[in-house]
Amino acid sequence: MERNQVGGTDVFSLAERRMAWLDQRQATLAHNVANANTPGFRARDSVPFAAALTQAGAQAGGRLPMTQASPLHLAGSGPALGSVSAVAHAQTVTGNTVVLEDELSKVADTASKQDLTASLYRKYTGLFRIALGR
Amino acid sequence: MDIDKALAVSARGMDVQTARLRTIAENLANQDTTGSTPGANPYRRKVITFENRMDQALGTEAVRVKSITSDKSALPEKFDPSHPAADARGYVRTPNVNSFVEVMDMREAQRGYSANLNVLEVTRSMLTRTIELLK
Repeated sequence: MERNQVGGTDVFSLAERRMAWLDQRQATLAHNVANANTPGFRARDSVPFAAALTQAGAQAGGRLPMTQASPLHLAGSGPALGSVSAVAHAQTVTGNTVVLEDELSKVADTASKQDLTASLYRKYTGLFRIALGR
Repeated sequence: MDIDKALAVSARGMDVQTARLRTIAENLANQDTTGSTPGANPYRRKVITFENRMDQALGTEAVRVKSITSDKSALPEKFDPSHPAADARGYVRTPNVNSFVEVMDMREAQRGYSANLNVLEVTRSMLTRTIELLK
């Protein structure tokens, strides 16, 4: 946890977690869009990054806890990352709560945040390069 | 990795919308398909439904075609005594396909397809950006 710590913020670790969170959110949104016409499907979203991070901080080792999206799922031990929560919204007669426009704007938002994180990460490695005189 | 799953899920979303378009094409192509013997049943409209199921190979939930069933709604009748499928009263049963409904459905399938394609493209650019961090 304490490695690469400059000026109080562990940028590498933070960027890594942010990227992982964004990946997970993108997968969740892909699910929503793919199920835009599935009867009874409830749209999901990731828990906000700040909340996920606080949750992770509370856990030993700083890893995000894994939550079960359905009671039918097996309890896994894989890389634990954020949970999904249902968001109530407009609902069609089939019980589907996906609004394509909302999902696509969230996808665009996720992509731009990922771009920002990647740029910051690159900048930070650039700083190290300068410090090393290369 | 979640991003690989996102790609696979979007591809699956496009898959099911294609299956839906195929069903619609079948309905539209058969909107005048009647029986050929007296009192025979004509083509019945097909209805496709989707479901979100755990996919073992993918390691995540993914959308798939649940069933393709026939529409149980009433078949309209048309008076045409000279038709080979006309019954004793001279009526022919015609398919319960409404081309307006099919065209609307087609628009929606197309919209669903392009939404999935859009997500796929964005996911791919995210993946590329991550790989570029190595450079």
